[in-house]
Amino acid sequence: MALSLRTASRKTWQTLSSIKTGVVLIILVVIFSAAGTVILQRPMTDPEDMQRAYSPAMLRFLDATGLTDVFHTRWFVALMILVSLSIIAASVERFPNAWRFFARPYKSPDDGFRRVLPTQAQIAIADEEQGLGAAERALRHMGFKAERIVRTDSFSLFSERSRISEMAVYIVHASLLLIFLGGIVDALYGWRGFVTLTPGSSSNQVEVMKGAARTLPFSIRCDGTGEETYTDGTPKRWWSKLAVVQGGREISRKEIAVNDPLVYHGVRFYQATYGRTGKLDHLVLDATPTKGSTPQEISLAMKQTVALDADTDVQLVEFIPDYVFQDGQVYARSNDVVNPAVHMIVTSKSKNASINVWLPAIPGIAENANSPYSFDPKDLKTGFYTGLQVSHEPGQWAVWSGVVLMAIGLTFVFYVIHVRFWIVPARDASGHLILWVGGTANRNRDAFEIRFKKLVEQIQNGLKPETTAAEKLADSVPGASIAGR
Amino acid sequence: MARARVEQHPATGTTLVVMVGLSIAFLLFIAFLNVVKTGSVLSEANLLYAALVFYAGAGALYLGFGITGTDSYIKFASLATWAGLIANTGAVAHRWYEAGHPPFASIYEMLLSFVWTLAALTLIAEKRYGVKVIGTVTMPVAIVGVVLMELLPSEVRPLVPALQSTWLHVHVTLAMLAYAACALSFALAMMFLIQDKMKTETFLAATSMFTVGIYGAILTRFERWGGLNVVAWDTENKTEAFISRGVRLFVTIPDLGWLMLLVFVAVAAPLVLYIIARIQKNDSLLPTANRAIFVSILLQALALIFFLLRARNGQYPSLDAEGLYATTLAASPFILSALVGGIFANLLYLLMLWRREDLERLLPDADALDRITYKTICIAFPLLTLMIAAGAYWANRAWGSYWNWDPKETWAAITWLVYAGYLHMRITRGWRGRRAAYFAILGFAVVMFTFFGVTYLLPGLHAYA
Repeated sequence: MALSLRTASRKTWQTLSSIKTGVVLIILVVIFSAAGTVILQRPMTDPEDMQRAYSPAMLRFLDATGLTDVFHTRWFVALMILVSLSIIAASVERFPNAWRFFARPYKSPDDGFRRVLPTQAQIAIADEEQGLGAAERALRHMGFKAERIVRTDSFSLFSERSRISEMAVYIVHASLLLIFLGGIVDALYGWRGFVTLTPGSSSNQVEVMKGAARTLPFSIRCDGTGEETYTDGTPKRWWSKLAVVQGGREISRKEIAVNDPLVYHGVRFYQATYGRTGKLDHLVLDATPTKGSTPQEISLAMKQTVALDADTDVQLVEFIPDYVFQDGQVYARSNDVVNPAVHMIVTSKSKNASINVWLPAIPGIAENANSPYSFDPKDLKTGFYTGLQVSHEPGQWAVWSGVVLMAIGLTFVFYVIHVRFWIVPARDASGHLILWVGGTANRNRDAFEIRFKKLVEQIQNGLKPETTAAEKLADSVPGASIAGR
Repeated sequence: MARARVEQHPATGTTLVVMVGLSIAFLLFIAFLNVVKTGSVLSEANLLYAALVFYAGAGALYLGFGITGTDSYIKFASLATWAGLIANTGAVAHRWYEAGHPPFASIYEMLLSFVWTLAALTLIAEKRYGVKVIGTVTMPVAIVGVVLMELLPSEVRPLVPALQSTWLHVHVTLAMLAYAACALSFALAMMFLIQDKMKTETFLAATSMFTVGIYGAILTRFERWGGLNVVAWDTENKTEAFISRGVRLFVTIPDLGWLMLLVFVAVAAPLVLYIIARIQKNDSLLPTANRAIFVSILLQALALIFFLLRARNGQYPSLDAEGLYATTLAASPFILSALVGGIFANLLYLLMLWRREDLERLLPDADALDRITYKTICIAFPLLTLMIAAGAYWANRAWGSYWNWDPKETWAAITWLVYAGYLHMRITRGWRGRRAAYFAILGFAVVMFTFFGVTYLLPGLHAYA
């Protein structure tokens, strides 16, 4: 029983770590992600649109299988976990071998290795020391450092470059796991929400996507918000001046804009929207006395009282952004400033009278005719709000470090090549003294072979310093047989 | 036929060079006369026109090289490409200076950069890797790109707040480079298949399938009573018309749907004939299939002409709203490129059908092509990775979330996975030759879907590109 359990777990491990499983999992991820882009997805699409697009039975089926929210279903998460496990298993399975290769480089090639190595050459030499010396010089000329390997039964040269390249693929896989880790942390502990602020207000309540509110350990205060536009009126920049307040103390301050958030304790505030609140900020009017002609300009905010002369005051009491008048009553139709009305009360102390002034003069309720002043609206400024996207993503640092690590790893995988050369004095089949030269590269082998040929030529040239350059060119390859792949 | 060609060499050689040279000189002269009248010499429109003229000259010469194999054409062709590239660089620089941001913000600007990249890559592939015939493929694409640009609205438009980010520019630049590398790997994989003695009729089937895919995609816009839905154009703001945020307004061009359906049948005919030939093991049907390709090219040209005539300017009814709405070609860049792309693919097939021997002589050998394809993907893959990372970083700065699973993002990830699969099979399983080439072609198909298909066919809000 125990044995079969062990075989079962061994089998599972082997299956998990095989490249075939990896590719099958990749294909599954591709299929399901593609399905998630073709089928309308739940949180983003309106329920009515979903019902219009699919028949009720179809929709029930899609909902039951989770196909309407593919990327957040359990089985998609399970698939991602399987992918992670497969990467881990494949890496663990292959890592020890690669590590041995990396940690204990093979420096002194034996006969068997020398027989099967695809890229090799033999150069006739007169003397071992002279041959090795020429090889050393040739390697140095190519920018390689040669190491003399002395064993009891052999004496040879070894040279290599960029051994780290053998580890690169593990760096890439580790970086991918780091990115997954960040994603999982964010899925478990991260949240996103929204907060709307008007200038002067502050809040510590964030409306989280699922409809609930979240209380922050600090409040965020808006000190101002605004919009800059291009000459044609399209928005160029939205900004908000924000301050973080904790325990009644202002801790930090920043003017945020789209693409430039405020960060405090891992919580980020992004400029998301900007718009009119439909509430009055201030109203500018010309007030002209009925028995005079010189108008004076006054500015009124909500509930503000301004003296027009020693006897008369005016107070702004109501602002309706989009009014309708029905059955002797004024109603607000919407919060958009499309058809505004203002209600002011003009008081005269000497007459002890209050007069309701409406702009425009709504018949039936406006007593504009009785007012000692007539009013002419000049400018109306409504308030603005700023909409802030709030998010907390504790895992994002893992994601970004994973990305950087992956960039490094891929650079090593594709552009840093582990090159090795072995040079061994030996005797060929007929007993002549030769210099055996062999080499490998873990990538880009065709370019390596050209390099290898160059090295062999260099060694040969180094062996006969007395020959002239012209002769060198003429017989650069005699005695050498370069075996290609 | 091949023998006759060899004898004609000297005559046709000079004639074509002189003809192309004269046409370029003539067109530039005409342009110069216009410039004298209007004043500014180095405006973007003029530079673009010059680029078009030079690219057209280069295209003709490359095509001449592809057909006759006269080596002297190549010299003049690359000279013309260089001249076009210089004019194109001028246009890019002008644009960049005018707009104050790198030219990636609209489809027009992306095409401008894409054509530039394509011309530069052509010269690199030719000079560095000796793939001389590549201009035969890339230059026509460049010409189509410039012609599309002439049709699209080109004025500098201000950037909405979300698009004002260095990271976006990094993202789009990387995307352009990565996609160009993928395109190159696709072309190289195709060349490999030619050199690997893949049967000509297999190319026939593939070409026909590709064209069927194109018209199938266009027919997703087929409307009742034979109309074709195209996006309406907001003439005032010079953008596509929207009903609400992210929902485009479609107008129906009457009868164009029937034409598209007819062409669909015509482009499917070679595929059907091929399948019948396979089933009956009867190769005598294949010449008929080749003739059907020829007929389908004529019909495709007809479809393109009618589309140009009817969608260029016009007022059409809409199913979603009352009244008539305008549309222009600029509102349908995808349909337009699909129509042109279909014709182009079929012409390439004909070139291969008639000149296969010459192509085999001109192209590097299969082994070399296999290796270069792999190397191109080795360049494309890190670029894809960085592109996705830069996009995620930008999204994080703009919206507070680095990954939203929106269709464009998901498909970019799928592209990445497909190429990752290719690399795993190649490196650990030693996949070489055909299987690797098929994989490279699949990868590029996914790239094309991510670039065009997602915007055109799928629901979603990656509305900027």
